[in-house]
Amino acid sequence: MLEISLFYIAATVALVATILAMTRANAIHALIYLIVSLLAVAVIFFLIGAPFAAALEIVIYAGAIMVLFVFVIMMLNLGEEGDAREKQWLSPAVWAGPTLLAVILFAELLYIISSVEGPVSTAQVTAKQVGLTLFGPYVLAVEIASMLLLAGLVGSYHLGRRALDRNIDEADARALFNSDPNSDPNSDPNSDPNSDPNSDPNSDSNAGRGEQ
Amino acid sequence: MNLSQVQALMPLLILSLTAVMLMIQASIKRDQATAWVITAIGLVLTIWGAIYARDFSQTVTILFNVDPWGLFFSSLMALAALVTLLLSRESFADEGQRKEEYYLLLVLSLLGALVLIQSSHMVSLLLGMELMGVALYVMIAFPEKGELPVEAAIKYLVLSACASVILLYGFALLYAATGELSYAGLGVKAGQAYAQNPLLILAGTGMVISGIGFKLSLVPFHMWTPDVYQGAPTPVTGYLATVSKGAVFVALTRMYLDGQLYQYPSLISALAVIAIASMLIGNLLALRQNNIKRLLAYSSIAHLGYLLVVLIALTGKGLASDAVTYYLTAYVLTSLAAFAVIARVSGEDATQCQISAYEGLFWRDKVQAICLTVALLSLAGIPLTAGFIGKFYVITVGVQSSLWALLAAVVVGSAIAIYYYLRIIFAMSKVPEDTVEHQAYPGRVLALFLTLLVLVLGSWPESFINYATSL
Repeated sequence: MLEISLFYIAATVALVATILAMTRANAIHALIYLIVSLLAVAVIFFLIGAPFAAALEIVIYAGAIMVLFVFVIMMLNLGEEGDAREKQWLSPAVWAGPTLLAVILFAELLYIISSVEGPVSTAQVTAKQVGLTLFGPYVLAVEIASMLLLAGLVGSYHLGRRALDRNIDEADARALFNSDPNSDPNSDPNSDPNSDPNSDPNSDSNAGRGEQ
Repeated sequence: MNLSQVQALMPLLILSLTAVMLMIQASIKRDQATAWVITAIGLVLTIWGAIYARDFSQTVTILFNVDPWGLFFSSLMALAALVTLLLSRESFADEGQRKEEYYLLLVLSLLGALVLIQSSHMVSLLLGMELMGVALYVMIAFPEKGELPVEAAIKYLVLSACASVILLYGFALLYAATGELSYAGLGVKAGQAYAQNPLLILAGTGMVISGIGFKLSLVPFHMWTPDVYQGAPTPVTGYLATVSKGAVFVALTRMYLDGQLYQYPSLISALAVIAIASMLIGNLLALRQNNIKRLLAYSSIAHLGYLLVVLIALTGKGLASDAVTYYLTAYVLTSLAAFAVIARVSGEDATQCQISAYEGLFWRDKVQAICLTVALLSLAGIPLTAGFIGKFYVITVGVQSSLWALLAAVVVGSAIAIYYYLRIIFAMSKVPEDTVEHQAYPGRVLALFLTLLVLVLGSWPESFINYATSL
């Protein structure tokens, strides 16, 4: 009975956090709620006797993947405009909701650890069992998953590389349009084809304009 | 795992090795001609590996069931990938230096398809499907110019991810009901679980069918098909139409048979509704298309509907399973022949994909026009082509199992289909007003070879039918 009610509290937190994550217009707000949702799922894993899965959920999903998302979004917001936006993220309206949900989860976890004697759930899956299953009957699945990661890596490299090239091209184009050397001194290094080894496709056209 | 199990996995091992070789080659010296040769050798060796592994047919761990039937489809899909590779050589000629990734992704995607074909477990089914899909997203978005490929890739990515999530949820429900993830275990335990809690099994299988139905572009889940077919580079469209759909259908057949999904009448009626809708709506929407790639997209929806009729009649080894083998083989070869011609005639030029661009093709390039005509007639199911025998199989199986409503849809659908296939053939036979341009298109040998296979399969089918029965 205790397990059931604890499960429902964590599940409600997960649902509320996920719904809030879906309805936020701001990506950062959504991501913070998503992290809380993943934490709630980790608590559920803990409750049903899979502490290893719970730890992985936090380390990999909430820890690595989501923080990577947040970092990327913050790095895209460089400049004064970005500073203003980041100040706005520090206002209580943004962090109060996720904090409340996280505190509920924390209180639940504290309660379980401090006051429950013996196992909360009937079955327990240890890290050793997970490892034995993963590298026993499922060893080929691990190998295929590695190939899946390779496909994702190569794919994102190809698409990302293309976006990088396009940014360089745009920088070159901007340098081309600001051809008056006095108006924008910052663009001068870019318009010099020799200083930018990455801009090979456009360097010819740049050089051509320079001669004119 | 002992040695004979490793030998049974030979095609998968060769493909993985090819992927590793491509990575090593790219790290030493980026050269796309070398990458192309390595990929081609890898694919040919995979076909050999699939033949070699036949002597070692067995279940390998709980994830794979290597049997002659799956190995035959493995070699067929490797052949389709080889055709895609040959077509891609020219299609991306003006894409600059970075084409090695394309070959690597093609190999990885085929690896996913082979995993799917030989899977006997939901984990390998999902992993294979994702591996094939992730590589395909990038292959669709590969051309660096134009917005259509990126749009197609994003549509495919988002919808495909949703389908995978639904599929996973379905697996979770089935696991909750039975405690089994392998098809065989599902087949043993699902009957009892169904008696206890029918809703869980029905919701689970329903979600699994929806997820797989998306990949097969069956009718309620077909929205992505025309846009993705149109936006993707033509060789990739051919690959998507043959390898991606074929492999998923083989996996569905395995799951349907081993999981004994045929014992649930409500699931059968759901499949029947999907099949009828696919046949009718696919063919009706194809009538209004002026773009040949979109037209083939709708026609593929209808063809998967015909295949679903066979699946509904399937209860074990027998005529129905031969019908799946034959129809899928005929469909793959015919589609490849059609896309081999389209890749040459239309290239990657969006305006050249209109049917009007095919007007007078008989006068410009007889060989390509004849190949496309045979391919279209085979898709329509005209005698002497592989498509005719395939459709004959579908109708025979349907009559044996008294699926009259489905048969009516097959007949009506085929009748509609003849109209739009003939429209292209009429366009090709129009006498051109100006006889100025007389460029011949390269790559006739490949199209001729595939057309010949389609004709041989349709005119002398006995040997292949005997072979299919022995699988």
